[in-house]
Amino acid sequence: MAVSTFKRGLLLPTRKHATEGTPVELAPLPKQVVIPINQHFGAPNKCLVNVGDHVRRGQKIADAAAPGPMTVPVHASISGVVKKIEPRTQSNNTEGICVTIEADPDAAGGEEFLPPLDPFTCTKEEALARIREAGITGMGGAAFPCHVKLNPPPNKPIDFIIADGAECEPYLTTDEAVLTEKPNMLILGLTIVMKITGVKKAIIGMEDNKEKLIPMIEREIRLNEQAASVGEISIGLCKTRYPQGGEKLLITALTGREVPSGGLPMDAGCIVQNVGTLVAIAEAFTLGKPLVDRDLTVSGGACKMPKNIRAPIGTLLTDLPPVFMEVDYDKLKKILFGGPMMGNAVPNLNIPIQKNTSGIILLTAAETVAELEGPCIRCGRCIRNCSARLSPVIMNMALEAGDLDEAVAAGLMDCIECGSCTFMCPARIKLVQRFRIGKQRLRIRQQAQQAAQAAKAAAAQPAPAKT
Amino acid sequence: MAQNESLSQELFLSSSPHIASKVAARNLMTNVLIALAPATVFGVLIYGIPALLNILVSIVAAVAGESLFRCITKQDIRAKDLSAVVTGLLLALVLPPTTPLWMTALGAVFAVVVAKEFFGGLGANVFNPALIGRAFLLMSFPASIATWARPLGFGTTLTDAVTGPTPLGIFKLSGGLPGVGADFVAAGLAKTPDYWTTIKTLFIGIHGGTTGESSILLILVGAIFLLATKTIDWRAPLTMIVSACILSLILGMDPLFSIFSGGLIFGAFFMATDYVSAPLTAKGKLIFGCGAGIIAVLIRVFGNYPEGVSYGILIMNAATPFLNRFLQKKYGFVPKKKPAPAGGAQGGTK
Repeated sequence: MAVSTFKRGLLLPTRKHATEGTPVELAPLPKQVVIPINQHFGAPNKCLVNVGDHVRRGQKIADAAAPGPMTVPVHASISGVVKKIEPRTQSNNTEGICVTIEADPDAAGGEEFLPPLDPFTCTKEEALARIREAGITGMGGAAFPCHVKLNPPPNKPIDFIIADGAECEPYLTTDEAVLTEKPNMLILGLTIVMKITGVKKAIIGMEDNKEKLIPMIEREIRLNEQAASVGEISIGLCKTRYPQGGEKLLITALTGREVPSGGLPMDAGCIVQNVGTLVAIAEAFTLGKPLVDRDLTVSGGACKMPKNIRAPIGTLLTDLPPVFMEVDYDKLKKILFGGPMMGNAVPNLNIPIQKNTSGIILLTAAETVAELEGPCIRCGRCIRNCSARLSPVIMNMALEAGDLDEAVAAGLMDCIECGSCTFMCPARIKLVQRFRIGKQRLRIRQQAQQAAQAAKAAAAQPAPAKT
Repeated sequence: MAQNESLSQELFLSSSPHIASKVAARNLMTNVLIALAPATVFGVLIYGIPALLNILVSIVAAVAGESLFRCITKQDIRAKDLSAVVTGLLLALVLPPTTPLWMTALGAVFAVVVAKEFFGGLGANVFNPALIGRAFLLMSFPASIATWARPLGFGTTLTDAVTGPTPLGIFKLSGGLPGVGADFVAAGLAKTPDYWTTIKTLFIGIHGGTTGESSILLILVGAIFLLATKTIDWRAPLTMIVSACILSLILGMDPLFSIFSGGLIFGAFFMATDYVSAPLTAKGKLIFGCGAGIIAVLIRVFGNYPEGVSYGILIMNAATPFLNRFLQKKYGFVPKKKPAPAGGAQGGTK
């Protein structure tokens, strides 16, 4: 099978051996969950429950504060009593309102799932409404509302649906577990998405270190009754190379197209969905199940028993039984939500699992970097390895000089923040961090400019009115 | 819970990515030192004790000069990153082995203090420090620096060394290859006036010259090491050699002789690839090498002395900030359409 790829990028140590090929283990329902009410990229939600309320697993506890497309609801992931509604630190290190639900062992509770819906007979609007109601966001990390992605404007024709199974982050193996254990649900999710969008071609993109899964997935494609009627599903094998799982580079590797600068995948005629998201979509139709659980990898040198687990959203690591999550506190130096290249370091273990938490990695000092920044020796390694072909060192020099325009010319706003430059920097300069700050500075400047223009326009308008 | 809170004191919190490659700045400097080792050992073997002393003095003076300056200006001492060691070694390798030791020391101190630390230290200098050191000595003491030792073998001392012109010097004086062959015999540099023997002699390196530049073979061995370890980029050296070759041909010089004599190969691989003073972008590197090669040949042909490579690279160093503006085509680059400037601007702001 032909192996496609993009230019540049990195060969990372994968460090996946600890959990590679291991089955996803179902964690027992914890005694409490802490569910952030805003878990998506978009407008904020409003909490629908009060302290003392009894809730059931699958019940909606938060939904759009104001009508608008860019929101998805949040559901209770266990049955129990609402104990607290308070701001807490979330996995992105910001504070947000979280609902603490304590499991109620007496009340049999049960689940409150939606009724199953046949995706092949319902209308597109019904299907999109179902995906929204099930609270599905992108599970790869960005948490973009799924129903928005599946409803592109009519002037953006889509040719390809891409299932993103290229898990390029070290340690993480949940996408692989999905491909291994639930290829039938993945194909079903893919056919549903093809049905909704009317796109005839779908590609399952995965890295060539998962090549052995191909025959099984191909068999599942043949077994799926709907697959042939909605279009053609193929497998695209890519080189194991970071950041292959970044949607832009996956599009380039599989279709040869480039997402235009400042654009979205739909501008290149593609919709990219993480394989986990596609499984969640399939479950939302067949079982009526909202997104209340997620698969994640717990791994790292300070994790005594690395494994892939399935846990209710809102679970705190400390509430998991030791067999699922035993931390070696003596060695622990860094807690990551997400992979080591793009994930967040968090201050403690009392951070809930969210819809977009693909893994919790407990790093030892030897696994992470703790060196101070040195002077830039201008070796140009960051330029050589930038998968978006930007010039990080020049962007950084321009930012230090306060020249935002020069930084933009060198590619500041096109940075996908994959961290390749920072990984390769021999002087250990935190380039990506500076680019994030640089982007913020640029946004602030643009807002100020827009405000100034608006003020000018407001000042200019009354004058002709008078005359 | 309590355990957690006490734990949070020791945890690192930083921005992603949380892992990094094992290659640190120091490793890159070490790679350069390893690459220079064959040429250095060869230089010491053929030029003897004076070459060895020159190398040692140059390195010590460079490290001491940098550390002293940083100490006086109350900055942390950075000898550990090995950049001063590299500068010192490079300087010694581009100086004749007969250079008086005090001159070498002066040149090394000038290189690290004036050419590097005055600009802000490692990573901030505009010009290649080793070449500045050499240019400084050449300006100040032309007689000593343009006198080349004949290879005498290890074990000789400074007083025993006999000086003779470098092949390029002969070429400059006699103006043609047949003449060079004759002068080789006269200078005792080559046994026969045959062209290929001359080229072979130049390639192997038993002839007069500077300590490190004489053996093209060993320089190439080091260069291959640097390319294989991805320490340097191929662009600048390749374009420099190719452009020098082509221009030599146009100007009626023998291209092989042109690149094998003098410091062109050494300069291309060890000076034009200097991280700090060479351009960062791929396109910039191509133009940089091209320019350096052309200037080097032009100075050799039309200049007063056979000193093209150093000045070629130094002059292009000055152009580096400009060359850095030649960026590569970004991912997803869309050329701006003139009829719809508003749309293009909007796309950029997202």
